Amino acid sequence: MNHGTTHQHDVIIIGGGGAGLRAAIAIAEENPSFSVACVSKVYPMRSHTVTAEGGAAAVIKDNDSLEDHIYDTISGADWLADQDAVEYFVNRAPPEMVQLEHWGCPWSRMPDGSVAVRPFGGMKIERTWFAADKTGFHMLHSLFQTTLKYGNIVRYDEHFASKLLLDDAGNCRGCAAIELRTGTVRAILGKSVIICTGGAGKAFPFTTNGAIKTGDGMAMAYRAGVALKDMEFIQYHPTGLPGTGILITEASRGEGGILVNKDGYRYLQDYDLGEALDVGDPRHPQKRAMELGPRDKLSQCFIKEKNAGRTIRTKDGDAVHLDLRHLGAAKIDKRIPFVRELARSYAGIDPVHQPIPVRPVVHYVMGGIDVDSNSATGIPGLYAAGECACVSINGANRLGSNSLTELLVFGAQAGTHAARFAMDRPDYDVSGLEAQAADEGERIRRDYFSMRTRSGSERIAVIRKELHDAMEDGAGIYRDAESLDAACNKIAELRERYAKITLDDQSNCFNTELTAALELASLLDVAQAMAHSAMERTESRGSHQRLDHPDRNDDDFLAHSLAFRAEDGGAPRIEYRPVTITRWPPGKRTYGADSGLKRPADAAAANDDTAASGETR
Amino acid sequence: MSNNGKITLEIFRYHPETDTEPRFQSYEVPYDEDWVVLDAINWIKDHIDGTVTHRWSCRMGVCGSCGMMVNGEPKLTCAAFLKDYHPRAVKVEPLVNFPVERDLVVSMDGFMDKLDAVKPYIIRDDVNDTSEGEYLQSPAELARYKQFSMCINCMLCYAACPVVGHEEEFLGPAALALGHRYNKDSRDQGQSERMEVMLSDEAMWGCTFVGECSVVCPKHVDPAGAIQQAKAMGAQEYFKGFVMPRGAGG
Amino acid sequence: MSGQYHRPHRWAWWTERPGYLRFMIRELTSVFMAGYLVVFVMTLASVGGGEAAFAEWIAALGSPAWMAAHVVALIAAVWHAVTFFGAVPQAMPVFLGERRLPGPVAQIVMGYGPWLTVSAVIVWWVVR
Repeated sequence: MNHGTTHQHDVIIIGGGGAGLRAAIAIAEENPSFSVACVSKVYPMRSHTVTAEGGAAAVIKDNDSLEDHIYDTISGADWLADQDAVEYFVNRAPPEMVQLEHWGCPWSRMPDGSVAVRPFGGMKIERTWFAADKTGFHMLHSLFQTTLKYGNIVRYDEHFASKLLLDDAGNCRGCAAIELRTGTVRAILGKSVIICTGGAGKAFPFTTNGAIKTGDGMAMAYRAGVALKDMEFIQYHPTGLPGTGILITEASRGEGGILVNKDGYRYLQDYDLGEALDVGDPRHPQKRAMELGPRDKLSQCFIKEKNAGRTIRTKDGDAVHLDLRHLGAAKIDKRIPFVRELARSYAGIDPVHQPIPVRPVVHYVMGGIDVDSNSATGIPGLYAAGECACVSINGANRLGSNSLTELLVFGAQAGTHAARFAMDRPDYDVSGLEAQAADEGERIRRDYFSMRTRSGSERIAVIRKELHDAMEDGAGIYRDAESLDAACNKIAELRERYAKITLDDQSNCFNTELTAALELASLLDVAQAMAHSAMERTESRGSHQRLDHPDRNDDDFLAHSLAFRAEDGGAPRIEYRPVTITRWPPGKRTYGADSGLKRPADAAAANDDTAASGETR
Repeated sequence: MSNNGKITLEIFRYHPETDTEPRFQSYEVPYDEDWVVLDAINWIKDHIDGTVTHRWSCRMGVCGSCGMMVNGEPKLTCAAFLKDYHPRAVKVEPLVNFPVERDLVVSMDGFMDKLDAVKPYIIRDDVNDTSEGEYLQSPAELARYKQFSMCINCMLCYAACPVVGHEEEFLGPAALALGHRYNKDSRDQGQSERMEVMLSDEAMWGCTFVGECSVVCPKHVDPAGAIQQAKAMGAQEYFKGFVMPRGAGG
Repeated sequence: MSGQYHRPHRWAWWTERPGYLRFMIRELTSVFMAGYLVVFVMTLASVGGGEAAFAEWIAALGSPAWMAAHVVALIAAVWHAVTFFGAVPQAMPVFLGERRLPGPVAQIVMGYGPWLTVSAVIVWWVVR
């Protein structure tokens, strides 16, 4: 690896997705004299935010209330969310969403010109803003294009950050990053650092996540000594296309789509998720019920149907049918056109005429870098926001459409706090940090470009495949001690074998085999935290379902797990920190008939509003 | 059902550290009728030759990373199915009209500068506070620009545009369509500022309306249409200049 | 290290895609339009040369070669008009509220309709 020049800024943001760009704008706006660096392994508009489809939640309509959004989020999280953080999130959501509207996001509209909202799973009132069904795409591009307005945002596109740089006092001062074009390792330095690198769905074989979601930022923080929090909570989205794992948005159910088993039966009604109203009933789709239940429950119902032999066999495994036919071509084309495009291209099915086969697919990591309610980690000057971070507002199960809002709210917050931190900091010793970056370049050379690696015996793809199988078999929707033990052992074995990895590509320019190797190293770290955290949590809560411990245990586990990396790469140390409970004591999570609606009479009224908000007419 | 035999990929290879000229290298991969060209390239990288270099991420046609020439046609390789080529070989090259960094990876520097040049963001004299709520925009007003906001920056249109091939400085379809997208947004007041860029020599008047950009666009953005509409708006601005003092128009 | 690779310019680029060839044909039709304009100017000049000169010019135009040239020019002109109207829905979209008029309808409303109307008026004016 070439040793490159040093670049100095005020704040360094690692990751150019929604959270990173929002943070960059927050800093650039409030501190015009600051230089903000945005370091990303891909061009920002390639970031995975781009694939989010259904929408982003924020209270804006008169029939809604902040209180309701808070309650939905906390109960959806199976009470593992920190309630002070949720309150902050819900309060900040509307101004952040309006701000994005001001920056040009093409939200779908009501006839009067106000933004339109749609119902989403686990939400008792429709509050999900949407831009047809390409919400993440429009949000990301609006944010990226807005960053071009600011001269003080400096982008390091296609720079792979591989290590955090800490000064002697333990403050985070930047990162070492490989410029992909040249293979040069650069020291990119600042007075504070924000990690916004997204999730790690690629630890699993069947995922909606893009190739780039390999948990690099999580692993970087983990190696620097920050805990990974609540990593056992992995969200399966109930409706992915079999084979490819391509996401079919929850908005398709928000618009009235139904899930049926091989007998054409709406099986969700058998699992305490409410009554199957006729699709012609004006109260359909009923919120916080049936198809608009939360994702964890719906994915679990699929497994139960499968075990009962009532799913549909496809060449890509078992599936159920998502039936949208009753919506009609006009509504599908207007509200969820991307669903039709994806189903046609990748499943050969036109949802106007045929039901879409779907099955649960790994979608989101609720856990992440342990940050407090100011987005700060335990390392001074190091912040994190977006999917890579765990505040936690998502607890044991994130509600659909909260994550896009989360990256705005906490991206902005992390930006503000990181900028304040940077403002108070004196200058730092550049040479020490440069030396660390040079060491990192040397490490990469030693680990991947030496005689040993040229004659190594392990291939990236083989280890990755075995990791995938271990995670799916051991840490899937339902787990138990035995399956998790197998996963933990397999990961330990793979970590050893990783040391014998070989690269065909021994060159500098755009070495994507090297980045794939670094990404695999990240995944091994993150997967280890997931499996061990899941092993230690001997209860079932939200997306973490233990067959050997089927009940929620608030006495012992109303607490966040914190996985600390072991120096030698062995089993992480797991600690617990109590959940912050303020006004919403843990209760029973109910959906369907008595779905936690405090004012049942409002349910029908809310539905009438949806019908009237017919942008489709 | 799938997996009948093999298919050959001929891949454009160029490495700046060792090559002065590109060459093609053939790889035989398993044929699966559900596979897209990108799957086949990934299979090569994983199992045959780790030095094959390409960009990709979402594999669902929205991140815009994996645009390449497939049998001479600019395509998103995640949306180009092997079954449409099998049993013939598939020839994969980097997008034309861009400098090649390595193998299937092209330089995006010029493209990024062009996007930046058209000022692709809302420009307003009076910025409302967020507490005043959203700017109202009717579905009809949204429809005026929505199509042009669908661009994923995949750059296929630049590979299809002969003007881009001849004039390196030409702003090109995606950037001009993006400028037009903001000009048509009812919330924007930056048209005259943006038009200064879009009316320059390297901008929309460079477009001869070949129209192939719109043919290859995977998201039906119709950049050619956007540019012709922008030309009409530009002409209007020009004539308005005669009858109205500067600054009154727009 | 030789840096980025730049492909050579492709001088036969217009043969690479049918769309490029269609574009070249469309642009070439303007040559015939210009040629016809020259003929028209020559006709006006012959009027200036007196009745005999005009009659002689008109007679010359009746030759098979001139007739053929006119047919070619007519085809080129019609093709040019067709491509022009074909571009109308892209260049001048018509919206009814949030719905955009479909291409063929826009072509009729904004292109062929007015064209045929004007042509009919001219024909009526000439033959009445």
